[in-house]
Amino acid sequence: MADPLISTAVVGHEFGPYDVTIPTERANAYAAAVGGDESPDYGDSLAPIMVVAAALTELIEDLGLFSGGLQTVHAGQEVSWARQVKIGEKVDAVGKLAANSVRRGNHFATVSVSYKDSTGEEIGTSSTTIIVSGEAS
Amino acid sequence: MTSKSVGDALAGFERQITQDRVDAYAEASGDHNPIHLDESYASTTQFGTRIAHGMLSLALVTEMLATNFPNTWHAGGKLKVRFSAPVFPGETVVTYGEVTAINESEDGLIATCTIGCKKPDGTDAVAGRATVPLE
Repeated sequence: MADPLISTAVVGHEFGPYDVTIPTERANAYAAAVGGDESPDYGDSLAPIMVVAAALTELIEDLGLFSGGLQTVHAGQEVSWARQVKIGEKVDAVGKLAANSVRRGNHFATVSVSYKDSTGEEIGTSSTTIIVSGEAS
Repeated sequence: MTSKSVGDALAGFERQITQDRVDAYAEASGDHNPIHLDESYASTTQFGTRIAHGMLSLALVTEMLATNFPNTWHAGGKLKVRFSAPVFPGETVVTYGEVTAINESEDGLIATCTIGCKKPDGTDAVAGRATVPLE
């Protein structure tokens, strides 16, 4: 099996762009997963963290972290958001490997992501830190 | 207008993280990693059973922020958290937060809050800090 990208990617490696447009059915699934009596009414808007989660799924796949044998821990997350996003609104996410080091056999990687709307304006950023063990080395 | 002062606790809530919620979150996020969905696979991992997505626990924390800061969290809010412990399906978690500082910036007043989500044994599943503009 080829090495997962996390084993070979260097800092600065870019990921995407990913289309992280969230359709109604996924917004409904999010409400079923997270919602409760006290949940705010988002109307036709989304919780931005859902857009971040959609991009993270794409990143994890590209990094090869769904490969058998790897144990991945989501260690940390940063998010900043400038405005609400509508259900079905086109959002593109571009990631960049900000750090990638190996300590005691574990990979520590941080990926920064920028989210832009259809006009190219940045509407949010995120940074995800993951720890991966179980790589053949 | 949302009035907050240093020392104010944020209104939190309890949520039982059922496997149905985890399954729904997999559909919402697209993250179908078997560690969240497949008990036979998950039993071979370091956790020994299925775990909820960490981002699901974080989503609950952001629900709390959206409830406490309904007009500003999604327009200028920031957070930084660590995932400290996994949440297992069936566990009930509690979100919490407290305003620890209010500072003036060029964009107005900004509240800094400790935030998190606790497991039934009192340990943090998620913990960190958020900054939110005040109205």
